[in-house]
Amino acid sequence: MKCISLFIVIFFLVSCSTMPAINPPMLSSAGQKHFTCPSPFLKEKSQLVHAIEITAAGNVQGAIIGITVADPSNRFISCAIMTTEGMVLLEAQSGAEKLNVLRALPPFDSGDFAQNLIDDIRLIYFNPQGLLQRKGNLSDGSTACRWQEESGDFVDVIANKPGSTEIKKYSACGSLNRHVKLKQTEGNPYSSIELEGSEMVNYRLIMTLIDAHPVKTIKGKNNEKQR
Amino acid sequence: MLTDQTLRRYFYILVCFILILSLPFVALADSFEQLRKDSANIQTIQSRFVQKKFMKILTKPLISEGRFYYVAPDSFRWEYLKPLRSAVINYKGDTRRFIVSGGKMIEDKAGGMQAMRVVLGEVTGWMSGKFDQNPSFVATLKEGTNTRITLTPVGKSMSGMIEKIEITVSKKAAAVKSVKIIENANAFTLIDFTDVEINKAINSTVFQDVQ
Repeated sequence: MKCISLFIVIFFLVSCSTMPAINPPMLSSAGQKHFTCPSPFLKEKSQLVHAIEITAAGNVQGAIIGITVADPSNRFISCAIMTTEGMVLLEAQSGAEKLNVLRALPPFDSGDFAQNLIDDIRLIYFNPQGLLQRKGNLSDGSTACRWQEESGDFVDVIANKPGSTEIKKYSACGSLNRHVKLKQTEGNPYSSIELEGSEMVNYRLIMTLIDAHPVKTIKGKNNEKQR
Repeated sequence: MLTDQTLRRYFYILVCFILILSLPFVALADSFEQLRKDSANIQTIQSRFVQKKFMKILTKPLISEGRFYYVAPDSFRWEYLKPLRSAVINYKGDTRRFIVSGGKMIEDKAGGMQAMRVVLGEVTGWMSGKFDQNPSFVATLKEGTNTRITLTPVGKSMSGMIEKIEITVSKKAAAVKSVKIIENANAFTLIDFTDVEINKAINSTVFQDVQ
């Protein structure tokens, strides 16, 4: 019995990784007092349309168009995936809790695909929720902040050079599950997005911005309230 | 990425786009029989198109642009140029799809070509103007200021994907004016064709590769 327990402990120690250390903020020569966490996230309700190239298990799987309407004020998301020909493969909405799949064609109707998609979108566009655990600098000098979510997962937001931000999501034991790279090329922090996901099959999305603009919310006509 | 069933349905829609331009003289036709006779005169078609996708989620339509080539009886190239490049080519019984990857056009080998071939078997009939002979659709033709052909899918092949397709043909210009593919009450696709050229020579290399 002791052997089994020892094996389990060793298994978890081996499978868990160590997240990069975030050191206390480096003070500037002027004696910097305020430290600002990187925040490329949406400030207002917006619609974003991206061309998305999908790679899974190292093979190019296809190119699709992704539409997202995201409202940071209530963390509400509407999204759709369509082919270049205009056929909608998936359409879903999600407020703080409830997921509503409006349309899903196989294989997008399987398992937790829509929920995982919504989670990825939230990671990209919304401020992390939870407790701000650490803020400071990585060993390479990048500015970084780390949040721990209610689920126990960790989210790092890292600014390493102007116009370039990374978001990393770790499991509670420190395994890197998502790695998002944002590259601002034309004034919008979401001009170019690269998302790497570690699941049973690893995948990579390369997203190129087609269109982005703010969406005005008419009082009382909020998407979430309509449903 | 997609299952065979989805691909088959998906190619139905793609093919619906393609078949439309085989009807440039439909304005002269007042019956499907006349339409078949008119279509027999068409050897080649080339055109540009603008596609507008309307959805509830979109505050303004998503606009795509592309071009189309057709040589009778069954060679075609349906290509999107903006905002996301892709192309489907059928030539000598071989169907290939191209997608953009790393800034280059590559052949999509993710599967589904078998499904596409099944669909293309039915296209041959459509290309011959046999709209009223395809068991997958009920076709109606209505004369007015413009001629309108409505294709309504029957059976389950497209259930949940397409409600109907409306093809509007300008009598004045004797050419297809627009195609409206209605998915449901909240989503439809509108395609406008421009610079349509009939029976103008098309180099066969158009159907052989995508740069």
